[in-house]
Amino acid sequence: MQNVHAANEANYLTYQGKYKGLLGWILSTDHKRIGLLYLYSIMTMFSIGVLLGLAMKFELLAPGKTIMEAKTYNATFTVHGVIMIFMVVIPGLPAVFGNFLMPIMIGAKDVAFPKLNLLSWWLYVLGVVLVLTAILFGNGTPDTGWTFYAPYSFKTGANLLPAVFGAFILGFSSILTGLNFLVTIHRLRCPGLTWSKLPLFVWTLYGTAWIQLLATPVVGITLVLIALERVFGVGVFDPALGGDPILYQHLFWIYSHPAVYIMILPAMGAISEIIPTFSQKQIFGYVALIASTMAIAFVGYLVWGHHMFTAGMSGTAQYFFSLLTYIVAIPSAIKVFNWIATLYKGSINVQTPLYWAASFIFVFLIGGLSGLVLGSLATDVHVHDTAFVVAHFHYIVFGGTGFAFFAAIHYWFPKIYGRMYDKTWANTGWLIFFIGFLALYTPMFYLGIMGMPRRYYDYMAEFHSGNILSTFGSWVLATGFIIILINLIRSARKGPKAEMNPWHGKTLEWTVSSPPSLENFDEIPVIAEDDGPYNYK
Amino acid sequence: MSDLNIDIKTKILKFNLLFVLIVFSLSLFAQEVVNPVSNNNNVEIGVIEHLDEFLPDSISLINEEGQQVWLADIIDKPSVINFVYYRCPGICSPLMEAVAGVMDKSDLVPGVDYQVLTISFDPHETIDLGIRKKSNYLNLMTNKVEEAKKGWLFFTSDSASIARATNATGFKYQRTGNDYLHAASLTVVSSEGKITRYLNGLYFLPFEWKMAIVEASKGKSGPTLNKVLRFCYSYDPVGQTYVMNITKITGTIILFLAILFLLILVFKSKKKENLI
Repeated sequence: MQNVHAANEANYLTYQGKYKGLLGWILSTDHKRIGLLYLYSIMTMFSIGVLLGLAMKFELLAPGKTIMEAKTYNATFTVHGVIMIFMVVIPGLPAVFGNFLMPIMIGAKDVAFPKLNLLSWWLYVLGVVLVLTAILFGNGTPDTGWTFYAPYSFKTGANLLPAVFGAFILGFSSILTGLNFLVTIHRLRCPGLTWSKLPLFVWTLYGTAWIQLLATPVVGITLVLIALERVFGVGVFDPALGGDPILYQHLFWIYSHPAVYIMILPAMGAISEIIPTFSQKQIFGYVALIASTMAIAFVGYLVWGHHMFTAGMSGTAQYFFSLLTYIVAIPSAIKVFNWIATLYKGSINVQTPLYWAASFIFVFLIGGLSGLVLGSLATDVHVHDTAFVVAHFHYIVFGGTGFAFFAAIHYWFPKIYGRMYDKTWANTGWLIFFIGFLALYTPMFYLGIMGMPRRYYDYMAEFHSGNILSTFGSWVLATGFIIILINLIRSARKGPKAEMNPWHGKTLEWTVSSPPSLENFDEIPVIAEDDGPYNYK
Repeated sequence: MSDLNIDIKTKILKFNLLFVLIVFSLSLFAQEVVNPVSNNNNVEIGVIEHLDEFLPDSISLINEEGQQVWLADIIDKPSVINFVYYRCPGICSPLMEAVAGVMDKSDLVPGVDYQVLTISFDPHETIDLGIRKKSNYLNLMTNKVEEAKKGWLFFTSDSASIARATNATGFKYQRTGNDYLHAASLTVVSSEGKITRYLNGLYFLPFEWKMAIVEASKGKSGPTLNKVLRFCYSYDPVGQTYVMNITKITGTIILFLAILFLLILVFKSKKKENLI
């Protein structure tokens, strides 16, 4: 693609606008600064979530009470889930890397609605504050699990409403981001950047934005109904009031399953950028990757019932949901195949982002295949609500989105900060993190199959050794995380200056200065007819 | 380049269409929801709902001309069957007044969109009394008198047919001296004779009335508005009333807005100044 140099003297990090200092950041409508605001907020919440996760694993180090009571454990896994799902992985890649990179990747100066973009971040902060209020004040921390299932949600004496309202506000933030991205991708692509030349990360953001727009309102409405039930006694989900608890589960999962794809699609997009760059090769099956993205976005909308196989559902509906769950595995498998095929016979340049991307494929495969065990009607009954499920979704959500997030941050870090991180420490951090991850979650597959239920602070003695390994893994993982975090923070401030295109990438963001100037491009680029995002010929 | 563009778009479209086809073909297996109201067969007076069952063919009636007719032949459109006895000193009169009132208020046309069949379950009664009663109740109406003359039909019957009809509809009554103890209930049947709804009580909202008849005409062509109504409301057997399908409606609105948004994005031309 064309090399479009921007003026380096006023990059977005040093630019001084109407406001100075912190205000210059939290009131900035620049998509890059907003992306970083999300990055810092999300990493803060992620760190809190990790601490809660460590506390849970410590409790499970030995049977019986280790460090906390049952109720505290319930509250811990609820808050861990709410933080990790609603505040980390759902906004995750779209909010951070989508905001920062998508406008540059399509040759635009900003998103279509910069002020709305800032409002989305503020709504995110408001949602976070509300949830934290529920944790710190009132009658007690919510202890229903992150799903807020009825009847827990109307029986618990805990301070649930602020948490529910917080999740509702976070949903709004998500919808507005989705809307903004859709308009931006449709309207602000630079001349010559047709749909068939759009980078795959942008394509996945596009599919994700549609899910955000279509699915998030459902959970918003559901959470309002919970509030109506708790405050006004309107019977919606409580059978004593004429409501239906199963209805809640349906409504919740109609959103929350597509939300898994909100998490994973941009993750797949980031991997689809990293692999061709480090293979120095045209991506294999560009069209198939786009089609599979859109197929996942569409079919992912129709599989929510597989969360409820044991909750009471007609046999026909079960077959339907089970089959659809199997169908959604096909486009995911297509992606894995295409990534591997891209690596095949490529000029592979092994760097930290590629380590993360390769480990992403590894854990995503295990997570995906274990998902089929849960999507199958007979086996689901056996492992439902056991540690197996916890292992599966951590392999997908943490192993998928989390690994892709770290892959993305190590890939685009030189572009974002204009500095390079210490590669040795980055690789060490990755290795420790990866080993910790495997040690933490793999035993849970076994424990689940053997019958250890999830969401209990206690377990039978026969599950002890598996839990010891798992808890040990959590410490290893946390060590890796600390190394990665310190390395990145230190490098952002003191790392050596990065080149404009250190990885020899071919997408538009590598044609602008590192860090990019305030308006990204001096002149809007024009994409030539024979040019494309992965043109390594 | 543009050819390649179209080619790629076509491939993506085909791929996604395949998924849509698979998904919709699966929906063919969707099963009917079974009404959760359980039938209590020990009821002596009242109504045991026999929803989704068909009326037997062998119910003969005497019509207003004194001729013997078959109920199955008369039911050629959605029909509301109303069991009373014409001498009734009790709830039959308020029930019939409620029927006359709702027929008058409803925008559905008796005799065209539906018919009401009032059948005496006292085998000793003759049709003369039925005709007099019909005249009385038609006098209560103001808007649809002419239509109701053709669309509200009165009958008597013999004891065997009455037994078959009341058993088939689950209408339970008891004789006490010269009179009967019975419930106030209307049975709505489709033009194929299938029982689709029971309307109980002595007051019917025009909306409920319309919904019950629209439901009974399911599968038949009707005004589009009626189809929309059937989509938006479903019968709540516990509350015995029609309730709005909030999930269906909000889901449809969300999808509609999303499609509208997509169409605007695709078809509304870009403004020059936006091409920054």
